[in-house]
Amino acid sequence: MNKQSNWIGKRYSRKEDARLITGHGEYIADISVENPLHVKFVRSSVAHAEIVSIDASAAKALPGVVAVLTGEDIKDKIKPLPTPPTLSLMPAFYPQHWPLAVGRVKFNGEPVVVIVAEDKYVAEDAAELIAVEYRELPVVTDPEYALSDQAPVIHSDMDSNEIFAMTLTGGLTEEEQTENAEKIDKIIRQADVVIKDRFRVHRCGVTPMETRGAIVQWDDRKGLRVWLTTQRPHIDRLVFADLFDIPQNRVHVSAPPDQGGAFGVKAPVYREPLLIAYLARELKRPVRWIESREEHLMAVSQERDQIHDLELAADKDGHILAIRDRAIADNGDGCEGVFWGFIMPFYGAAMVPNGYDVPNCDISIRVAVTNKSALSPARSFGTMAARFAVDRAIDMVARELDKDPADVRRANLIRDLPYDTATGVHYDKGDYVAVWDKMIAAVDLDDFRHRQEQARKEGRYIGIGFGISVHASGVASAALVPMEGQPGFGSATVKIDSGGSIQVFEGDAPQGQGHETTMAQVTAEIFGIEPGDVEVITGDTQTTPFATGTFGARGGSYTVSAIAKAALLLREKMAVVAIHDAGIDAQPEQIDFMGGKLVNSVDGSEIAGFAELADRIIMKPLEMPEGIDAGLDQTAFFEAKEPMMSFSTNAVMVEVDPDTGSFHIDRFVTGEDVGRVINPQIVEGQVHGGVVQGLSNAMFEEFIYDENGQQLSTTLENYKLANAADVPNIEIVHANTPCEHTPLGTRGMGEGTPGPVPGALCNAICDALKPFGVQITELPVRPDRIWKLLQQRKSA
Amino acid sequence: MKTEITVIVNGVEVTREVPLRMLLVDFIRDVLGLTGTHQGCTFEGVCGACTLHLNGEAIKSCMMLAVQADGQEITTIEGIATNGELHIVQKAFQEHHGLQCGFCTSGMIMNAIEFLRVNPNPNEKEIRHALIGNICRCTGYQNIVKAISAAAAELNDSVS
Repeated sequence: MNKQSNWIGKRYSRKEDARLITGHGEYIADISVENPLHVKFVRSSVAHAEIVSIDASAAKALPGVVAVLTGEDIKDKIKPLPTPPTLSLMPAFYPQHWPLAVGRVKFNGEPVVVIVAEDKYVAEDAAELIAVEYRELPVVTDPEYALSDQAPVIHSDMDSNEIFAMTLTGGLTEEEQTENAEKIDKIIRQADVVIKDRFRVHRCGVTPMETRGAIVQWDDRKGLRVWLTTQRPHIDRLVFADLFDIPQNRVHVSAPPDQGGAFGVKAPVYREPLLIAYLARELKRPVRWIESREEHLMAVSQERDQIHDLELAADKDGHILAIRDRAIADNGDGCEGVFWGFIMPFYGAAMVPNGYDVPNCDISIRVAVTNKSALSPARSFGTMAARFAVDRAIDMVARELDKDPADVRRANLIRDLPYDTATGVHYDKGDYVAVWDKMIAAVDLDDFRHRQEQARKEGRYIGIGFGISVHASGVASAALVPMEGQPGFGSATVKIDSGGSIQVFEGDAPQGQGHETTMAQVTAEIFGIEPGDVEVITGDTQTTPFATGTFGARGGSYTVSAIAKAALLLREKMAVVAIHDAGIDAQPEQIDFMGGKLVNSVDGSEIAGFAELADRIIMKPLEMPEGIDAGLDQTAFFEAKEPMMSFSTNAVMVEVDPDTGSFHIDRFVTGEDVGRVINPQIVEGQVHGGVVQGLSNAMFEEFIYDENGQQLSTTLENYKLANAADVPNIEIVHANTPCEHTPLGTRGMGEGTPGPVPGALCNAICDALKPFGVQITELPVRPDRIWKLLQQRKSA
Repeated sequence: MKTEITVIVNGVEVTREVPLRMLLVDFIRDVLGLTGTHQGCTFEGVCGACTLHLNGEAIKSCMMLAVQADGQEITTIEGIATNGELHIVQKAFQEHHGLQCGFCTSGMIMNAIEFLRVNPNPNEKEIRHALIGNICRCTGYQNIVKAISAAAAELNDSVS
């Protein structure tokens, strides 16, 4: 690598922005194909029912309507789901279903009928004319009831509503797990302090500003052409090929060059795009589906929704001795390829210990099918509820012991890294205490406690709360294959042309993370050229190497490492040729690539120009050094030796009005270890956005189902997202430790960011209200909940 | 039912026959092909991604019909640069990393331009309140606020 870092670590202005600030982005809805048909889904108006009849005659008769199909129409023509590429290898139930409901509907919003029309307005008109007669069935909306013997079983191919259950600690056999459970039980019975409570995080998620969409063409000769909002185009290609029994080389999937956010929501294989592809093939016309916001909020974007019955035992100094957790997740119908609604809660249960040294754990989880939409991934991937439970419990321990929660938290941070949790998760090297101390210094805790004391004398209630997050920066194949049946390696192709400009091809599909900029910075750094000379092409299965997708903060760990590997191989090749041509005695690693030139670092002499050398190797491959081939295209794959984790800490300062329960966030500070930073501006943007998503989840967002399973939050009026006036500025301090097992020391970040925010916020509110003894154990946290808790304490 | 409308869009007069019920946002996007104006909610006027200028005023184009714009002047995100020179607000969004996925950006910029015309010296609180009709999911708003604040300062400099 070059002696001086020119681009890695720089606030390089984003390459994506030039088109996005002028309205020239290309999102799914902006892609035009000739003469498309438009699709509208009719979705179930009830939560659980038998379909008695569907009268589509009036809709079919409407001029401009091309086709109207029901589940009965397609069930013998399209393979039932799941298709094998969408299966996890975990022992669970994978309910059979079709893209349109067959026989029964299982949640309010399930696709029942599809309308295909020449015009999107006509498709909407036709949808109004569909008459579905339902015979309603008992509705299951409570996950504990769903898991009881009394509940009706929702999927006829399952014996119960338990789609997945697992004990994550103690060992693999029942005997080992029982032995462990008994050991933990004894520790809890003998501990100085035990916090035992039920912690609940409601159903909310990270709905992106752009909804889903698919545009599909069928060509008898070329096969299937798909444009799809997706984080994982290569995985989608597998699924389409399997569904239609055609080879993968006849399926071409592109994620649009621009996607309006995803945050996990566009990672699963959903049923709707599969049906769009079927329609395109049957009707021999391009078919276009752009999801409405109402559909989106009905059918996807819903996550969290976990109950943790947690016991946390500590000694008199506040050291955690053991955690026992019985978690329950409310999956919904679970019919969602790849994730099946249970992978997120599973990961959440595995991450219960978080960044705390918890030597003894007894943790198990049960995931229930209910008459709701399936949980779909949302940034922080299943961990929010566990973060909330444990971070709240630690503050409760501090209160019992009359200690500062900051001190109790610091005392429990993992110190000896690498570390393996009791749930079997490996954490790589890092210095969590350094991150913590830097954040505490930034908030000036002593000064805050002093001000808090003064404020209380004046009848004002200010408080500070903390939360932490250890989150995977991508997942290695070793973990991802068993979990999702898919590999985790990074991949990239770097092509240098004879003019010295570079194309980088990655099969991931970013949605705002700025890959075109950061990946160009890395490439430019390695070759000593300008990021402007590097074009990054993403998300197209025709041009990019197989990749598992953009999710779980893996870009900064895996994809960038594959790019670095490919680029470093090309760099070495170029150095070898340059040394050979110059006739000097030097090793390739002695050659610096700087300012478009190759320079001998020993004496500072220029031995070749970068572009000229590229031209020589590609266009004039004569008298090449022994064993060196022509050409400058290189594909590389990167598989990490061990997982990499990013670490973040939050401190929130609030003021609460005990008369009304309303509160104001005065300050929000985060401490971060994200490894070596490629672009500080982009890292900061990820933190700002992730924190606000966490606040928005905690304070505003809530998917509400009534007792009949009717979804009452299907517009952005009802499902409120935080706006600019709702949230504070976020201050960030860094204590980064370069990752030792990535080529550049980078690690991905941003995935885990929202997770610890609600716990930190509630800890701050409870700290402010310490004189009243209020303990928040359930989200969302709004003034009405705080007020009710205050009234309970006053009357107690 | 269709009718003919004439509007001036980004300085160019266009006449088209449109269905009476066609939303202005669909006219802009589907008929004129100006896809920089986005649609993020189901015509509730909540998300603000479809914000454009009607006679200089920032409005949500999903909340009105194309026929209601007949005879009026529309400016979209594609029309705010002058002679290839980006608007100061556009430049500020790039410089201060006021966008990630970019989906809300057109609406944010169109709203911000009108806001700064009405209030050329806003404080942070005023900027945040001016943005409540535009939702961003990526940035946490912080750098958007920073960009608008910086643009305000620069616009004032360029005036004085």
